[in-house]
Amino acid sequence: MSFFSLFNKKETSAGVAKDRLRIAISSDRNNTSYPFMAEMKADIIAVVRKYIDAQSVNITKESDGDVDTLGIEIIIPK
Amino acid sequence: MGIVYAIISGKGGVGKTTTTANIGIGIAQEGKKVVLVDFDLGQRNLDLILGLENRVIYDMVHVMDEEAGLKQALIKSKHTDNLFLLAASQTKDKSALVQEKVKKLIETLKEEFDYVILDAPAGIESGFEHTIMYADATIVVVNPEVSSIRDADKAIGIVDAKCERAKENKKVQKYLVINRINPAMVSSGEMLASADILDILSIDLLGKIPEDKGIVEASNTGKPIILNEKSGAGAAYKRICKRLCGENVAFEDVETFNSPSIMGKIKGLFQ
Repeated sequence: MSFFSLFNKKETSAGVAKDRLRIAISSDRNNTSYPFMAEMKADIIAVVRKYIDAQSVNITKESDGDVDTLGIEIIIPK
Repeated sequence: MGIVYAIISGKGGVGKTTTTANIGIGIAQEGKKVVLVDFDLGQRNLDLILGLENRVIYDMVHVMDEEAGLKQALIKSKHTDNLFLLAASQTKDKSALVQEKVKKLIETLKEEFDYVILDAPAGIESGFEHTIMYADATIVVVNPEVSSIRDADKAIGIVDAKCERAKENKKVQKYLVINRINPAMVSSGEMLASADILDILSIDLLGKIPEDKGIVEASNTGKPIILNEKSGAGAAYKRICKRLCGENVAFEDVETFNSPSIMGKIKGLFQ
């Protein structure tokens, strides 16, 4: 750090890079579904249809702190 | 039974092939039997970096398709005993890889060598997946730069999802090599420091390689920089290889920039 930078409160570009990366990567990680998502979805539809006439199945993966949750929404026609 | 390392990066051009070549030579110099396999089908380069481009007759696809024997296709390094290269095919593309054949090839290599090091293609497509599928551990190469780090994170995610070991609920060790560190820029806050990168990727540090002009000359001549003991990058690769061979080598500070003294600056004016 140089003498003048003591008076220069401007954030360094490395600091900016770190903040931007943190946000980009955490959003990437949350959006990544499992590679087997399509297969699992087909299996769930097959099981549900054995009992009830499901119209569609939506699976969403969310991250909240240390826990990942899978939301499975099954839409049934009235 | 040997150990299989896949060298990956996500983004291209960060020094993956250079790292593969240097680590191969370094581990072989430690007395281990090493084979390097170039998985970058259609874009063969590891042979060039090792100075072996004139010796490639058969490649890994020939071996997998049993058009050539393994012994015929392995090319011995000019620089070190114990080091062999299995070149990528230059004509066939990534679709030439078949999972079962890749598995068989790696199993065979594991029986013959202590270290089987796979140079992955850039990107996260099928060629990449074939490379990491049967790896015991991965070495992730990044540059201290946003796109490289983000792509590396993506690649690490695929290793965790697709690697056979991960599927068997075994741990796939991931080690980080930070390449092309410019000490002056890190010191002035213009480049991400290794601590920040480790914090973001949260994997274990294997080594830090300073930016080194000698790298260009090394690839020009096909003599990897680890052969030049005086170079900063060569010494850093040497330390990495000792760590990979189980030695406990302290991490050197390659990020503090020692600015020239006033006398040095004045001398510089007259040079």
